[in-house]
Amino acid sequence: MIAMHRAAVIRLGAVLAASALAVTACGEAPEETDAGSEGDDFVGCMVTDEGGVDDKSFNETSHRGLVNAHDAGTISDVQVAESHSTADFEPNVSSMVSQECGLIVTVGFMLADATADAAESNPDERFAIVDFQYTDEDSGEPVTIDNVKPLVFNTHEAAFLAGYLAAGYSETGTVATWGGAKIPTVTIFMDGYYDGVQHYNEVHDADIEVLGWDKESQDGQFTDDFSNSSLAQQYSENLIQQGADVIMPVAGPIGESAAVAARDAGDVALIWVDTDGYESLPEYSDLILTSVVKGMDTAVEEAVEATADGEYSPDPFVGTLENEGVSIAPYHDFSGEIDDELAEEVAELEQQIIDGELEVQSDAAF
Amino acid sequence: MSTGDTGNEVGSWAERALRRRWRAPVMFTVLGLGALVLFGLLAPGGERSTFGISTAGDIVEIDPVGVPSRQAAILLALLCLAVAGYALLLTARAEPVPLWLSVLFGSAFVLSFLTWAVAGETISLTGALQGSLALSVPLIFGALCGMLGERTGVINIAIEGQLLAGAFLSGVVASLLGNLWVGLIAAPVAGLLVAYLLAVFSIRYLVNQIIVGVVLNVLVLGLTNFLYGRLLSPQAQTWNSPGRFPRWKLPVLGDIPVVGPVLFDQTVIVYCMYVAVLVVHVALFHTRWGLRVRAVGEHPEAADTAGIAVNVVRFRNVLIGGAVAGFGGAYFTLGAIGVFSREMTAGAGFIALAAMILGRWKPMGAVFAALLFGFANNLQSVLGIIGSPIPSEFMLMAPYVLTIFAVAGLVGRIRPPAANGQPYIKS
Repeated sequence: MIAMHRAAVIRLGAVLAASALAVTACGEAPEETDAGSEGDDFVGCMVTDEGGVDDKSFNETSHRGLVNAHDAGTISDVQVAESHSTADFEPNVSSMVSQECGLIVTVGFMLADATADAAESNPDERFAIVDFQYTDEDSGEPVTIDNVKPLVFNTHEAAFLAGYLAAGYSETGTVATWGGAKIPTVTIFMDGYYDGVQHYNEVHDADIEVLGWDKESQDGQFTDDFSNSSLAQQYSENLIQQGADVIMPVAGPIGESAAVAARDAGDVALIWVDTDGYESLPEYSDLILTSVVKGMDTAVEEAVEATADGEYSPDPFVGTLENEGVSIAPYHDFSGEIDDELAEEVAELEQQIIDGELEVQSDAAF
Repeated sequence: MSTGDTGNEVGSWAERALRRRWRAPVMFTVLGLGALVLFGLLAPGGERSTFGISTAGDIVEIDPVGVPSRQAAILLALLCLAVAGYALLLTARAEPVPLWLSVLFGSAFVLSFLTWAVAGETISLTGALQGSLALSVPLIFGALCGMLGERTGVINIAIEGQLLAGAFLSGVVASLLGNLWVGLIAAPVAGLLVAYLLAVFSIRYLVNQIIVGVVLNVLVLGLTNFLYGRLLSPQAQTWNSPGRFPRWKLPVLGDIPVVGPVLFDQTVIVYCMYVAVLVVHVALFHTRWGLRVRAVGEHPEAADTAGIAVNVVRFRNVLIGGAVAGFGGAYFTLGAIGVFSREMTAGAGFIALAAMILGRWKPMGAVFAALLFGFANNLQSVLGIIGSPIPSEFMLMAPYVLTIFAVAGLVGRIRPPAANGQPYIKS
């Protein structure tokens, strides 16, 4: 009786385990978006980080770059491998290497090591990595890998403008931010935002306080992952209770939790990041004061186009206000509520940063 | 251990039990002294700690309470020490330390800590407590689920998966049918399905309970991630826009300062949680059903001899537990955020398991443990905002450190149901 059971058990256990694995694996298998016939046989490939291709944030935006290139007929096909954990990075990158890709775009600084390894062992393959620049371990100087093009963004320049705007808009004299994880690509937003508020205080002799991030101590509010939406909502509520009436969540998909908290509170505005929240978060568009836009789609599209035209170079692309790689979004519903004077000041600051008259500093800058 | 206890062994066990009782009073004394020195005597004087009481929309407005930090912390620490002294006295007289005394000690200690931490700043006391409850709700549902299983001897590691399945299905169903209530009914069904797999494999086919649980977690995670990527994200309007339940403020009760906004201005899911805790408590400890359940978990052979169908009881309880956890999962989508997102339970199922153990497999205990965790987790955020010198990485550890500390220091030896984790094979 028991012996028979045991055999059945092992079989059933194996079936259960296999089906679990099969379902998980489904998400990771390279997906063919469309076997279009245009372009001249150039496949654009992408490996996402843990957020997945539908994260309403940087994976999704980077992916849009490939899709746009495909729609424009620059490339013939788009393939994506989604990572669900750090363990997926290496196999996903290797699977792309075996896929005859024209360019492999890896998204996020977490994929840096996997990309560097693959690039080294496949010198003929071409890579581009979003949000990371390799540096020398000892000197900290940027180093170039011959077949990896870094696509990085000085988002603090645009976040500076958003911080200045938030300070000028705030009625309570308190503005806030919080982040998903304490990594350079998140804190760079917070540095710029913080400095923008301080700049407003200097110019207007005001005393607007920033909660959730302190640039000097480089510490603040972090959920420590990009999935814990309950904790994220709680952070936002706590910041609102401490008086904040503008919040900038830098947390990809769970940033939406801040919108929920802002809606409950009633008179709190949001600053969205990566994309224009007015469009990517339609249900909460009336809460979006502005967005710090990081043009990853354009950067990826341009990199793919250049590669398809045979002009690939491993020189880094650094998105700035000047080259419109980063920007702040239009004020949409808030255009009426922002004084013309404040809007002008922000526009002036933007020009000053572009002209190099005003320098915005961040340790995380490129 | 289970059979043939001689009188002698029972005697020595009782002796040990008596000795162990010193643990709590001694711990109280040490903590009280620590509070006195750290929060009171060593703290700089001259600062005030301010606690906001009223929230927006209260009928009775109460002004924030401001107290001189150092003096208040010393006073509260002295209260801690007085409680500790009384507890020592009771233990010396071989009398048990009542629960209210522990609660009084805990409150005084936490308040003493707060006046110290908030010195020179203002926090909203009501807001902090609201946040604590919000973070505890899924943990309480999860802990009840685990308890229902383990009281019959089935370990349920798949709570995380059941919460996630409940969150997912409730969101999808409410979104497709445009009705939150149908979504709320779908949530326990999702938990039930996961629990059914757990029950079939672990009870019917005797697969190791832990392994099945882990595999089920991976299965639910993979399935929801996959469907999220294919359906919920690209067609969010159809598949992933369920909306949220409104908060219902109970008349009279909801107007009590502090308690009202924290406990009685909540969504239907939280009110259901209060009912669930009470029902499980009464059912487990005051009904014949509960006696049978506990008998199956402690000594299945004896229960079987008494005519209880052991595996039927187990099967049923695992299913009920799954339904409870699934229902709790709806809190993530329909109660809090209003949309489903990837891996949104973020480990709550495992913390729930810890809360169940810390609460000694009792509903009320689990509630306190879950609230403790929620409180610590929320407090690290509040204190971080008002400016704490402790790096955020360490603050994020606080809830876990506190849990370990509570288990090791205050709870003492914990005894799970004797037959926990062992399959029952009728011979």
